Amino acid sequence: MQTFPPNNNGEGSSRGYQTLGSPPEGFEQQPPNNWKGVFSVSSYTQYFNVDTDIVINRMMSSFYPIGGDFFSKIDANPDLYGLIWISTTLVFVLASLGNCATYLIQKRADSSASWSFDVGYVNVAACAIYGYAIVVPLAFYFLLQYLGTNASLVRFWCMWGYSLFIFILSSFLLVIPVEVLRWIIILAAGIDSACFVAVNLKSCVEGNDLTIVVFAAFFLQLALAIFIKAWFFP
Amino acid sequence: MSHSDTIPLHASSQSDIDEIENLINASVQSGPATVLPARPPSPPRIPVSSSPFIPSNLPPLPSTHQKPSFVPSVPSAPPPPPVNSHSSIGASGFGSPPNTLTEPVWDTVKRDLSRIVSNLKLVVFPNPYREDPGKALRDWDLWGPFFFIVFLGLTLSWSASVKKSEVFAVAFALLAAGAVILTLNVLLLGGHIIFFQSLSLLGYCLFPLDIGAVICMLKDNVIIKVAVVCVTLAWSSWAAYPFMSSAVNPRRKALALYPVFLMYVSVGFLIIAID
Repeated sequence: MQTFPPNNNGEGSSRGYQTLGSPPEGFEQQPPNNWKGVFSVSSYTQYFNVDTDIVINRMMSSFYPIGGDFFSKIDANPDLYGLIWISTTLVFVLASLGNCATYLIQKRADSSASWSFDVGYVNVAACAIYGYAIVVPLAFYFLLQYLGTNASLVRFWCMWGYSLFIFILSSFLLVIPVEVLRWIIILAAGIDSACFVAVNLKSCVEGNDLTIVVFAAFFLQLALAIFIKAWFFP
Repeated sequence: MSHSDTIPLHASSQSDIDEIENLINASVQSGPATVLPARPPSPPRIPVSSSPFIPSNLPPLPSTHQKPSFVPSVPSAPPPPPVNSHSSIGASGFGSPPNTLTEPVWDTVKRDLSRIVSNLKLVVFPNPYREDPGKALRDWDLWGPFFFIVFLGLTLSWSASVKKSEVFAVAFALLAAGAVILTLNVLLLGGHIIFFQSLSLLGYCLFPLDIGAVICMLKDNVIIKVAVVCVTLAWSSWAAYPFMSSAVNPRRKALALYPVFLMYVSVGFLIIAID
């Protein structure tokens, strides 16, 4: 509340009009920011303040490409739990099921093929998934900040993290050693996930003409899906 | 126990022993400084040699070598010496630190091994009628987890036919980093757990998977491997469940337990898949 005391032109008041308190300017995203330093665990607990049912709700809502309300759902309480554990699960699932699927395809082609576990799948999966999940939202955050929109990095990480959930389920289906079926499954999952990302990104940058950014996000997600199919389930 | 037949100490080492003993005496008189939270002061254990500490095999030196018969009679306010299971000043009661410095190495090793075995029994074979359920939590140590992780890595690496060192690296990194990350996960979810206790417990819960890995190394049939790994996986998860679930808010129990399950499933998969 600002008061405007009358500007008494008696004493040559040099102060002009006074305002009570400063205008509330820091209220964009997280009002109480209990940041106690980079190395204190308690400063990160604010990003893990979720219960089991909230996490499951967010994972289910990542299946619906039309909707565009993910950001409003996570606005008060974005969480990094989904990002970390969904990407870790995806790394494990890709490495393990990728080996199984490669073995099954080889067995179909040549029935004397024997099982061999390629540990390199773990490395490639870890680099690819963690790299994508961390770098792509970061890049979009900086891009959007540069282009003028007000974006929030934690919410971007949260959304991209949950968008990877559908790949976990589709990886189980991709073990089926029928090539056509594999392509259908991965394209369906890829388009679903890419639409989810694109629609939510559009709802975040509404008002500005940044369709090219939205399309870039769509194609990146689709490219990830195709990479998963091509490398782990050949 | 074996003071009668030892080789006489080198002349210079006696002064070291004196110095350390004086430091310990000084700290007794100055009173307890800090008490570690996870260790209630345990009663002074009977020293390994039943006699009070007397350097019986040494020629009496003319220096200021006062030797009051060092009776372990200070049970009232002893601060336990810092836990450092690697050195000989082990975690015994206050009466015997000088003894643990000069005791034979075999005694130290035996004491640590017995602690590992007792922790293992408490963690992996939970007995609901046990009289002191929190004992394993208080007496945590990291030797046991270290042995189990390295043993699992070695077993997996031995079973692998190609890329042996990479398999060991993946297994070791997965387990070590996994234990740290799981503890951090509980802390971030707002749970109450002490970091090293949790590392210790997660390490001990690996023991069933170690047994499973050895069995899978010896038998090469896929069906048997899958069955054995499933049983040992269930056992490991069952052992880890009470500790993890009691540390967090009940509404977030699944969030804390799922990563534990994920880690054990991935280790189990490694065991099955290594050929």
